Amino acid sequence: MLDTAKTRWHPIAASYDLPFRHVFHAQLLGREFAVWRADDGYVNIWENRCLHRGVRLSIGINDGRELKCQYHGWRYSNRTAGCTYIPAHPADAPARTITNRTFAGVERYGLVWSAEEPHGRVPDVAGLREGEQLALRGIPLNAPADAVVSALTGYRFQPNGRLQGNTANVSLEGSDTFSVALRAYEEGAETLVVFFVQPVDSSRSVIRGVLDAGPQGAERLAILRHHNERLSKLREIAEREAQAAPQPAPLEPVIERVSPELAEMPEMTAHGRKATIRVTVARKWLAADGIAAFELRPVQGLLPTFQPGAHIDVHMPNGLVRQYSITNGPGESDSYVIGVKLERDSMGGSLCMHETVREGDLLAISEPRNNFPLRRDAVRTIFVAGGIGVTPLLAMAQALKNQNLDYEFHYFAQNQEQLAFPEKTALLGEALKPHLGFLPETTAAKLKEILSGYRPDMHVYLCGPGPMLEAARRIAADLGWPETAVHFEYFKNTNTIDDSSSFEVALARSCVTLQVTAGKTILETMREAGIDMPSSCEQGACGTCLATVIEGEPDHQDVYLNDAERKSGTKIMTCVSRARSARLVLDL
Amino acid sequence: MITLYDYELSGNCYKLRLLMSMLGIEYNTVPVDFYPGREHKSDWFLRLNPLGQLPVIEDDGLVLRDAQAILVYLASKYDPSGTWYPRSDPALLGEISQWLAFADGITGTASAARLHDGLFYDLDVESARAGAHRLFRILDEHLWFGEQERRDWICSGQHPTVADIACFPYVMLSEEGGVSRQDYPAIRRWCDRVKRIKGFTVMSGIFPAGPARAA
Repeated sequence: MLDTAKTRWHPIAASYDLPFRHVFHAQLLGREFAVWRADDGYVNIWENRCLHRGVRLSIGINDGRELKCQYHGWRYSNRTAGCTYIPAHPADAPARTITNRTFAGVERYGLVWSAEEPHGRVPDVAGLREGEQLALRGIPLNAPADAVVSALTGYRFQPNGRLQGNTANVSLEGSDTFSVALRAYEEGAETLVVFFVQPVDSSRSVIRGVLDAGPQGAERLAILRHHNERLSKLREIAEREAQAAPQPAPLEPVIERVSPELAEMPEMTAHGRKATIRVTVARKWLAADGIAAFELRPVQGLLPTFQPGAHIDVHMPNGLVRQYSITNGPGESDSYVIGVKLERDSMGGSLCMHETVREGDLLAISEPRNNFPLRRDAVRTIFVAGGIGVTPLLAMAQALKNQNLDYEFHYFAQNQEQLAFPEKTALLGEALKPHLGFLPETTAAKLKEILSGYRPDMHVYLCGPGPMLEAARRIAADLGWPETAVHFEYFKNTNTIDDSSSFEVALARSCVTLQVTAGKTILETMREAGIDMPSSCEQGACGTCLATVIEGEPDHQDVYLNDAERKSGTKIMTCVSRARSARLVLDL
Repeated sequence: MITLYDYELSGNCYKLRLLMSMLGIEYNTVPVDFYPGREHKSDWFLRLNPLGQLPVIEDDGLVLRDAQAILVYLASKYDPSGTWYPRSDPALLGEISQWLAFADGITGTASAARLHDGLFYDLDVESARAGAHRLFRILDEHLWFGEQERRDWICSGQHPTVADIACFPYVMLSEEGGVSRQDYPAIRRWCDRVKRIKGFTVMSGIFPAGPARAA
């Protein structure tokens, strides 16, 4: 009987099977994998199945950072396998639940090892030294693994350097359920071969042989051919015997549902913003004059999938919580890089990040949220960044660049020294257009120039200081840009909040009616009543605590909604906005 | 101008569309209703090709049948670089002819299985599939050792030849005949390389590859 233990490491590919920009089609114990190496070297081993329509991802496209399904173009990120973009829903950020199943992967002895639920590490193999071995050509065969192992114990071969002979003594050095080690001797030459038999299915296997040494040049090729020829012979016999024996039924792996952690609602808490992820400040550097950059690495496991435009909450040592955009390009999923500008009138947030937080420190952060999603179906995309507003736009531009989509990147700053992340902006090449030293009046003229020539299906993304965004939005409207094509994100809400009203809020789904008193926000009132609601900036800028209005007239005080959304009266930011009517009914 | 008597779902017609696209040749097509119309067995078509098979081309009064023969003709006449069918290199020409014949074998097996599954041809599909696997094992081994010798293509030399074009379509369409390529990783990598040749074009069932990594 085939040992189908899910805890045991097996080879599923050879390292040479994973060149860049290729997707390898692997299988272990009946379960198929799409295996691909990202440009940063990371080996991804995923369930071979798009979460959308179940199409094999092994026919997808590895663009070096993401894997794109061939069927409807869903994109999944390097490492996390989280979906980053759905072409049929270009204006929306994909839900975090759309995350494919990933499996452990380790490269060792020239092979790629995996298991469904591995125990421990890939075992050491006596006689093999990492880096000195020679991986043979994998031999797939239609025979069960146990029969192949037993056939391999009788394998005969010549040691390296003595390929021409035919008299080598071969000793069996060891064997177990899925491996056989043999050593050949002839006139002073000796070579160890270890065969690992990969159980592909109940009656299919791959022989993956590794020699303890592999010389370079012509002899290397001769050795590879020597074993290929003999193993092909062995395959012929093993397949003939397997065909004569009764055929076992194919294994049927269980396709698991999405993990509970992703599928279920988070636990209810009475108090607001959660910081479930612990990160280390792996690197802190000056990204520009007055801007500190931080590279945040997970203390354990992987960071969640982010999409361009997403931000995280950073919980600081002094108790403050601030939002920072993730600047990473697609697939750069081993850390998050953020930029923090030292504010002249800092309330303690940016000051703490600049002066207190050091390399090696631990920080608590929230999962990434994307309230500033990027469409990728525009005929042309224009980015307009002012100062530190560059950060979300930088992530967006890198995503479009990776897909060879048309964009231009306008970056306003006081001077050259204030242009942040030069190593990232340099990659944008010709698309990067710095605009230095502009005054408010000249900025307006420049914006007119940039925003002239609107055509249908163009989109503009704005991020920068409030007055600049106001000007840009006004100019865009004057030049014929529809509101749906103008996307913006404010750093902060500079409106003076009037919280003097009191009114009733009815939560339609929760069947609760609450009284919001002067001085309290809708969000606070709901939390006191035990109703959980995600929030982030809590000042009406980031868009996290958005709720749908069913009835009543909102009193908008945020800077997240655009004018059309405000006028529609169907949305409200519960952290700052209130009601003009005596009663508000929310879809919560 | 060249006229191609064409059926969209035919891998043999696609060979010619593929090479002509890579060579940048303009051509007209005359669609032939292969299925369900069986127009390739009609009187007018049998006058062009008494074998009643696609594809056929007409060029400057010349009427030619047989995908492999037409590939040789097109490359000889229209490839100024002389790399697709290098007439001055006898050894390489020999290799190319050998693999053109091999491509015919792929048509007789993998393509036959696809005709059975897709267009309901009455034939021994199990033996067609077994034959395709036998050929794919040989091709995979050849390409794997090619990679070890830094050879990217089916024949020797630095450039793809008509042999790659002749073998590619029915390898790529094999799954439509129930012939999985999972056991042929070197073939799968070679398919990526063919898809990255400048001028590559797709057909129904054959998807594009993404860009290669910048050197």
